[in-house]
Amino acid sequence: MRTFLILTVDGVTNGFIYAIVALALVMIWRATRVINYAQGAMGMFTTYIALYAISHGVTYWLAFVIALGAGFLLGAGIERVLVRPVESRPPLNIVILTLGLLILLEALAPMLFGGQVKSFPAPFSRIDLSIGTTQLYISPFDIFVVGAVLLTMVVLVLFFQRTTIGLRMRAAAFGPEISRLLGVRVGRMLTLGWGLAALLGALAGLLIAPAIFLYPNNMDEILVFGFTGAILGGLDSPVGAVVGAILVGLVLSYVGGYAGSDLETIGGLVILIAVLMIRPQGLFAAQRQRQA
Amino acid sequence: MLEISDLTVAYGGVVAVDAVSLSVAEGSITTVLGANGAGKTTLVRAISGLVRARRGSVRVAGTELMGRAPEAIARLGVAHVPEGHGIISEITVDENLRLGGLWRRGRADQRLAIDEAYELFPPLLARRHLHAASLSGGERQMLSIGRALAARPRVLLLDEPSLGLHAAVLAQIMTRLRALSRERSLAVLLIEQNARSALSIADDAVVLSQGAVVARNQAAQLAGDDALRHAYLGF
Repeated sequence: MRTFLILTVDGVTNGFIYAIVALALVMIWRATRVINYAQGAMGMFTTYIALYAISHGVTYWLAFVIALGAGFLLGAGIERVLVRPVESRPPLNIVILTLGLLILLEALAPMLFGGQVKSFPAPFSRIDLSIGTTQLYISPFDIFVVGAVLLTMVVLVLFFQRTTIGLRMRAAAFGPEISRLLGVRVGRMLTLGWGLAALLGALAGLLIAPAIFLYPNNMDEILVFGFTGAILGGLDSPVGAVVGAILVGLVLSYVGGYAGSDLETIGGLVILIAVLMIRPQGLFAAQRQRQA
Repeated sequence: MLEISDLTVAYGGVVAVDAVSLSVAEGSITTVLGANGAGKTTLVRAISGLVRARRGSVRVAGTELMGRAPEAIARLGVAHVPEGHGIISEITVDENLRLGGLWRRGRADQRLAIDEAYELFPPLLARRHLHAASLSGGERQMLSIGRALAARPRVLLLDEPSLGLHAAVLAQIMTRLRALSRERSLAVLLIEQNARSALSIADDAVVLSQGAVVARNQAAQLAGDDALRHAYLGF
């Protein structure tokens, strides 16, 4: 029972970490109908920027803001310079482009920042809390992560459903040509969508690094798990993405705890393949896929 | 209000619109008729900036549109209702309508323009919070026209609004259009294959064949020209 409890709490807290990546993927999907495979690598890159700032005497929170800002600029810049020329081409071109970007960033990071594994600070203690003699299996940092993810989720829902920019962004993603006829500056919406998604990716990198350390491909696994969570949630829904990611976290935690930690990654991939085969629209997708 | 002169559009070596000149005064409707492939859709797509013209000029109230992006042309008061409605089916009816006038200043006036669209097409009101995918063909056309009007345009381009509509629904929409054009001093360019219904509400008519203007006259006159009707309009 005790093991089950620990595995459950662990699974949920890990799930919240996957959820940030899942939210970033939902963001870019809703804004541009693209899956960005470099999402994780971009977050790794901006976390290196934060660490660089910290090592030069900048406070954690200022470095945190710098990383988010750098993420936004990196995403917006990538859209303008690299994605824009292939935007009107078949979707496969963009998929290949983001894969290329993943490889490029993971090669560039060790050249710029060094390839060794580095520790990354957490803004709050990572030691589990306890009430009296009862261990709670959850640390102040875990609470911070959960709070940040829930806040991000709520902000995203409100952004897409309640703001006019969110409406423009959804419209631009579903019907770029029609949107232009209605006066929507579609190009700007795409740039903004990439920028905001990369900002979320930067947040993911910052929140994950204290637990898994910082090295050039530290986000690879997280991207797969976050992607699985986003797919489970139907890719279109921020709430679905968070719920999906928590489910992934739980399953992985149980697999790791009961069947051996070697099987954890395989567990994640099995869920991904199963969902894509059985219910590719996700568990919570209300909308049907766009036809043509 | 809308003045087109010598407009020529070519895809590769194929000339789709060949030196077309026409004008639409405010408060009037000009219909462009012609068979499938006569270049009608290319003509409106060139006006709204979706395809680049090789030569010629399109002016709205004296402002040149050529060389501008579609979103800039929309913001100059040109609303284009594309062939096959062009509604965004993944968002709600209300969101579609809001999108129409979003670029305009003034929240209150934007809301007013949307309420007017509901007044004009009451069936939309009951479905305002549903995804536009759930609408019937006639309702989609109403939504598309209502959304265009929510931008309070000076020029309205309609590409085959009759497509897939029942005759009764079509007649209803056409009557509304006639009244709207007068009330709002709207210059309407109505592209149609269904010549009979278009001629019933238009002031002037232009017939396109292989991209070039082969006839132009007042709508009533043109409808009475038997030889022309048989040759180009098929009724």
